[in-house]
Amino acid sequence: MIPREENENRVPASEAEKTLRLVAGLPAPEGLSDRVQEGLRKAPRGRLLEWPMALMPGSWIQSPAFRGAAAAAIVCVVAGGGWRIYSHVQTPAAPTANVITMPARVGGASGFSSANAIRTPDTLAGPVLTRATTPDKAKKPAKRMKRHRAHPAAVAPQPIQPR
Amino acid sequence: MEIAHSAVHDETRQHATDDALAALVEQHASTLYRVAFSVLRNGADAEDAVQETFLRVLRHRGTLGEVRDHRVWLIRIVWNIVLDRKRRAKTRPETEDVSDLARVLPATGLSAEERAAAAQHHARMLLLVDSLPAKEREVLVLSAFEELSSVEIAGILGVTESSVRSRLFRARNLMAGLLERPRSLR
Repeated sequence: MIPREENENRVPASEAEKTLRLVAGLPAPEGLSDRVQEGLRKAPRGRLLEWPMALMPGSWIQSPAFRGAAAAAIVCVVAGGGWRIYSHVQTPAAPTANVITMPARVGGASGFSSANAIRTPDTLAGPVLTRATTPDKAKKPAKRMKRHRAHPAAVAPQPIQPR
Repeated sequence: MEIAHSAVHDETRQHATDDALAALVEQHASTLYRVAFSVLRNGADAEDAVQETFLRVLRHRGTLGEVRDHRVWLIRIVWNIVLDRKRRAKTRPETEDVSDLARVLPATGLSAEERAAAAQHHARMLLLVDSLPAKEREVLVLSAFEELSSVEIAGILGVTESSVRSRLFRARNLMAGLLERPRSLR
């Protein structure tokens, strides 16, 4: 019900409002409702997806025991993940001494045996003398003589004096 | 057993929704058509708009129970549909509007000439209404429906009741100015 004051305000103030009221008052065509109903009947009805029975209120999935177990599982997963990250992020302790680790043995008990073969390492070719050295020269090294030359008085052979 | 019970419950619920929808069509289709026609001014387009309105309701039939005022809710849906269509549609030539009006307006006791003159007059008035700013025009068009109170118009447009009143006041002033101008030119 429109209030009286409002009704008075809504008296058509102009020719335009009269026209609008005329248009607004035009009757709907015959059989409109039937056509709309028919259209609705033909319209494809997409079936709504429904929750599974387990998620319905009062099902076992909503029991306190299941909820507690689910909460515990979530806590375990979160704590485990956190520990895993923490253990990876930890910095290693500084080494106190130079430790050389030996390379791992290749082969071993489970692999092929060496059949007692000894590996001889390749060595460099030794020096080859072209001239043979004399035994006298070998007895008197040049260096020794040079040393004695530094003190000629001591080194010089003393003449044997007759007694 | 539980599944069978649920299926029966679903079927019953769907039948109830269908019945409610059918009742809404019977009750409000005519009003929705008139609202659509007052904006589109074409019978076929208005009927399409009504059909689309109920198809939308069918898609959201699950929320039917939450709606307080079905009439205002439906008018709001059809109003948005027709405004959207009006925005998209090309401007129709004035002559087409006049011939449509001459066909649909009541013409009892009028001669052919008088009927043509009346149609011309109404077409000119509607042209003036179309020249109003959108906000004022919308309120003016909806206020022409006697069954709609200003509170309901506010609900349809999504504004306050005082906004509706002030817009209606401005619209009337603007219309008065527009109607005076051609007379003064004469």
